[in-house]
Amino acid sequence: MYYKFSGFSQRLVGAVAAAAYAPQGLKPLASTESPALIFGTPTKLASDSPAAVSYLDKNKVPDLQKLFQKADGLPVHLKRGVPDQLLYRTTMALTIGGTIYCLIALYMASQPKSKK
Amino acid sequence: MAHQMHAYHMVDPSPWPLTGAAAALLMTSGLAMWFHHNSMLLMTLGLLIMLLTMFQWWRDVIREGTFQGHHTPPVQKGLRYGMILFITSEVFFFIGFFWAFYHSSLAPTPELGGCWPPTGITPLNPFEVPLLNTAVLLASGVTITWTHHSLMEMNRNQTIQALTITILLGLYFTALQAMEYYEAPFTIADGVYGSTFFVATGFHGLHVIIGSTFLIVCLLRQIKFHFTSTHHFGFEAAAWYWHFVDVVWLFLYVSIYWWGS
Repeated sequence: MYYKFSGFSQRLVGAVAAAAYAPQGLKPLASTESPALIFGTPTKLASDSPAAVSYLDKNKVPDLQKLFQKADGLPVHLKRGVPDQLLYRTTMALTIGGTIYCLIALYMASQPKSKK
Repeated sequence: MAHQMHAYHMVDPSPWPLTGAAAALLMTSGLAMWFHHNSMLLMTLGLLIMLLTMFQWWRDVIREGTFQGHHTPPVQKGLRYGMILFITSEVFFFIGFFWAFYHSSLAPTPELGGCWPPTGITPLNPFEVPLLNTAVLLASGVTITWTHHSLMEMNRNQTIQALTITILLGLYFTALQAMEYYEAPFTIADGVYGSTFFVATGFHGLHVIIGSTFLIVCLLRQIKFHFTSTHHFGFEAAAWYWHFVDVVWLFLYVSIYWWGS
């Protein structure tokens, strides 16, 4: 009996030999990064390379991981500080104001004579 | 940070379910206000709050998963179940509209002339733009599979290229459909033909726009290094949704455009 890892159910399921010996998606680990180049002076930005435009972005995920894992007791929707607070307060103000306006409008709309 | 003895995700308290519910209230009441009292303010406000809620809620999910590491394998399994169940519910949503179409078209009433398409309706030629639309969506299904394999094989450039092509194909489909809508010789008010045609294809088009938006978010995340070759469920969810949109179109094409013409 051969087995393969089912990406759908996330566990091993029965398979034919071909799938077991040649798993889908598994390629020889060929690194797409160029080998570390040694210069006299330290290497600068990735934007110096003639690669695609997308390489202009540096990987900021580790820094963001540190930021969002700071033990400051803040909930995730406020973790970034001021920009989060602004957006939250705006949304909440619109929500509360809008709900009150909605209830008033519904009350007025339900009055028999005054059709406003 | 507090330590937990389990692999599950106990979410931080969040205001977004409340604001989302309020948005639903405002949108539905606003719809009534628009229909009966000539005012779009409430509905627009509801839409705005809905968009703000969606943006912040899903931004938080990305923070919890990618930045805080809460999406362990059991959590990811739950997210998979969730997405599959949601797509299943959408399938049933479309089944309703197909039911309506077949109800009216399999036994056309005398008021329609006893025939389908009804008397006076010139249906669109299924072998013109609709066929092109079919090819466009099928091609986008291929390119999104290409994207996935590139992602799993740690090929960053090809992932970005293939995903961009997928999105462009999706936008091309939307543009073609918009043009078809504008040029169509019949409207939604043209009896049950018009109703079934525009409601079914219209909801499908909305889902294409939603799916394209989901893919654009995935593209931005891919550019920002959020996905790894083994952990990229957000992308997989978008791909599932995109294939679902493609399949619905195939049913629409065969039933309404081809058989129904």
